[in-house]
Amino acid sequence: MLRRYTSLYWFFLIQRFKILMEYRLNFFIGLTSTIFLQAAGLLGIWVIVSQVPDLNGWTLDQVLLIYGLLTLAKSINHMFADNLWVIGWGYVRPGGFDRFLVRPINPLFHLLADRFCHDGLGNFLVGAALVIVSSINLHLVWTPLNLLYLIVVVISGGVIFIALNLITATSAFWIIESIPVTQIVFNTHEFARFPLTIYPKAIQLFLTILIPYGFASYYPATQILGRDPGLLAWLPPFVALVLAVFSYRVWLFGLKHYGGTGS
Amino acid sequence: MNRLRHLFNVYGAVLAAVPKFYTAYRAWVWMEFVVQILAMVVLYFFWQAVYASGGALGGLTFQQTINYVMLAQMLMPLVENRLIFNFGWMLREGQIAIDLLRPMDFQARLYVDAVGNLFLNLLVKAPLLIMAVVFFQVQLPRDVTTWLVFIVALALGHAVMFFFDWIFSCLAFYSTETWGLSVVRVAVVTFFSGAIVPLQMMPHWLQTTANLLPFAQSVYVPVSFLSGVTPSSAAAQAWLIQLAWLIGLGVISRLVFRRSLRKITVQGG
Amino acid sequence: MSIIHVQDLSKVYRIVEKDPGLAGSFKALFRPRYKDILAVDRISFTIEPGELVGYIGVNGAGKSTTIKMLTGILLPSGGAVRVLERDPYQQRVPNARDIGVVFGQRSQLWWDLPLIESLNFIQRIYEIPPASFKRRLDEFAETLELKALFGTPIRNLSLGQKMRAELAATLIHDPQVVYLDEPTIGLDLLVKERIREFIKAQNRQRNVTVILTTHDLGDIEEICQRVIMIDAGRIIYDGPLSLIKARFGKFREITLETASPIGLFALPTGAEIVQQADQRLTLRFDRTVTTASQVAAAIMNQLEVADFSLAEPDLASIVKQIYSGALHA
Repeated sequence: MLRRYTSLYWFFLIQRFKILMEYRLNFFIGLTSTIFLQAAGLLGIWVIVSQVPDLNGWTLDQVLLIYGLLTLAKSINHMFADNLWVIGWGYVRPGGFDRFLVRPINPLFHLLADRFCHDGLGNFLVGAALVIVSSINLHLVWTPLNLLYLIVVVISGGVIFIALNLITATSAFWIIESIPVTQIVFNTHEFARFPLTIYPKAIQLFLTILIPYGFASYYPATQILGRDPGLLAWLPPFVALVLAVFSYRVWLFGLKHYGGTGS
Repeated sequence: MNRLRHLFNVYGAVLAAVPKFYTAYRAWVWMEFVVQILAMVVLYFFWQAVYASGGALGGLTFQQTINYVMLAQMLMPLVENRLIFNFGWMLREGQIAIDLLRPMDFQARLYVDAVGNLFLNLLVKAPLLIMAVVFFQVQLPRDVTTWLVFIVALALGHAVMFFFDWIFSCLAFYSTETWGLSVVRVAVVTFFSGAIVPLQMMPHWLQTTANLLPFAQSVYVPVSFLSGVTPSSAAAQAWLIQLAWLIGLGVISRLVFRRSLRKITVQGG
Repeated sequence: MSIIHVQDLSKVYRIVEKDPGLAGSFKALFRPRYKDILAVDRISFTIEPGELVGYIGVNGAGKSTTIKMLTGILLPSGGAVRVLERDPYQQRVPNARDIGVVFGQRSQLWWDLPLIESLNFIQRIYEIPPASFKRRLDEFAETLELKALFGTPIRNLSLGQKMRAELAATLIHDPQVVYLDEPTIGLDLLVKERIREFIKAQNRQRNVTVILTTHDLGDIEEICQRVIMIDAGRIIYDGPLSLIKARFGKFREITLETASPIGLFALPTGAEIVQQADQRLTLRFDRTVTTASQVAAAIMNQLEVADFSLAEPDLASIVKQIYSGALHA
């Protein structure tokens, strides 16, 4: 099962790149555009935080590490699950979603695999660059164990992003135009660009329990930087797992509703 | 006369469009509203943390900075412009030939449309201003003079940006990659207009760059008046500089446009 | 053993009725008022392996809702569906392996890629053994004349070529049941003919069961032995095509426009009035009794005719006539 889907995904990916190579210029523009957009925001943070000794006890490089972790997690979502944004007007309304249902594969897999979004590669590059540069400046030592931790938390962060988008995207089965719903929940990730301690307790709790983007950036950063991490720094994979299972349940519920009403 | 009538038509249409816009795109309006509030919350606590470590960045107090960044956030529509997509579309559809034949000046007509759009965008964002004052302690000026200074600076700044975009959009005559070009433009303009960080907080080299570019005229100049960063006594000088940019870019925009037009007349559309 | 078994199948759509405006939306959110729409109303039929069935009805009659329940996309509200001994909704994936679906205008092919890439992709999804995939490709290269098109991106294919490619993609995994939704819509006569031939040949050679929905009575006439006609969610006719043909195939309609208001006139033999307006007259005549020129001439002798046109009765008018008891007459 897993092998079949892995090889299928790989096949989807190759097809996608064949299409992208038909429009080579668009490919590079998509890639660089995300880098440019990130650069404008990052330049702003750099300009400000470099002028103060620290941000609530976090140095510029530490803040950039948090930002980098978040951007890496976001890029996973951007690359592999961007189609969740357009499920309503791209698939449900025009009826393309029916095609997924008459094929002998999982419709969610089909939806996600249908479009690998190369723009996300730009985010990945920005995130990776931030983590590398900040860890050099912070003289972080990357032992194999640390590296493993980094990989696990980045993937967990990506899963958290995808799961939250999946929950909101499922609303398309009822209201078709799901983008506003997704956008609102998705945008709360902007809180997690900075150390959560700059916010009041309520917002911290919100980002830990309700919409747990904190596990995609801040909590792992406390572990990587050895800043009194505590238990929460070990939770990202579990949070991701729980959220993934829950979001898939929500998706199945939406699918059932679709089976009841059609488009 | 013709121009005036068009102006009234546009404003009439825009005003009539506001309630329609609110109902037709209700979900999108709500989304925009919530997203903006989220952004304001992040901004507020970010800047609070910045100021907590002491000092006055670029000589601005916390209050001035909060005023500035929140208002700049709301005036973001100034940075957005779809002119290049209009040009791209008109060129593809051959619409531009028809538009050029109309009795009214082509540029003037699109300028009036752009002002109408700005008006609509600001109206849609109006509830945010109330939120900003109530929840984020943004202080708006109480004297009429500052508001007048702001409105004039806003109008001038918008015109400066319009002429810049006119020149920039002429790239559509030479390249079909309007989307990629506009993304790069948004990134550059957002930063150098002062929409994220007020100019005086930038390091020297960035400040110099920002001053050499026209973008600060559209966001930084008006917002710094409204937020109390620049006293209204400096208005005359600021307006003169804006006016200089406006005239310079206006003249260049017409020259560039005429030159670009030659490209389609040579190729026959 | 029948391959499709439908018993008292119903589908009710429950929609929320909303008052206009924001207040209305809010009210609908907290105290929703539901309205039930009966799209399919207790229909029953069975289809045997290898049958070619035309499933016809006007727009909104319940055709596509039925097809969606047969393919496992929609859950029935009542009654039972069995396709190949399975419940298509509960056993969606196994069912999907054994069926093929053409959704009218909505292509399953990759717009930007050569046809062969899409077919390779379908091979992966359906896990078609390479040997039989190869055999089918060779076959379609011939019967659908696709050989020269395998390397062409779909966006460069003509409408007819696209439909041929679509059929190849639908049949390449050797399904036992094929649902074709408007397979000839918008195609010219020659292409239509070729596609109809292909469908018939597939049915003959592989005993594929075909369910065809269409507006085009020509498709039905060429392909199907049996017709199921649905209107307002109910089956109004299920039987051999020959009966429909005998009843309606011999009729033609002639519409005449006159220069002045129509006065009294004698009806030509073998003709009856379908519709009469101030300066417009539609007559139906039996081709076996009279001819178009005889009818036209008879009228022109009496009225000043400005223009006239000839048509076969369309589906909507046949449905209307069935209602008025045409089949029992």
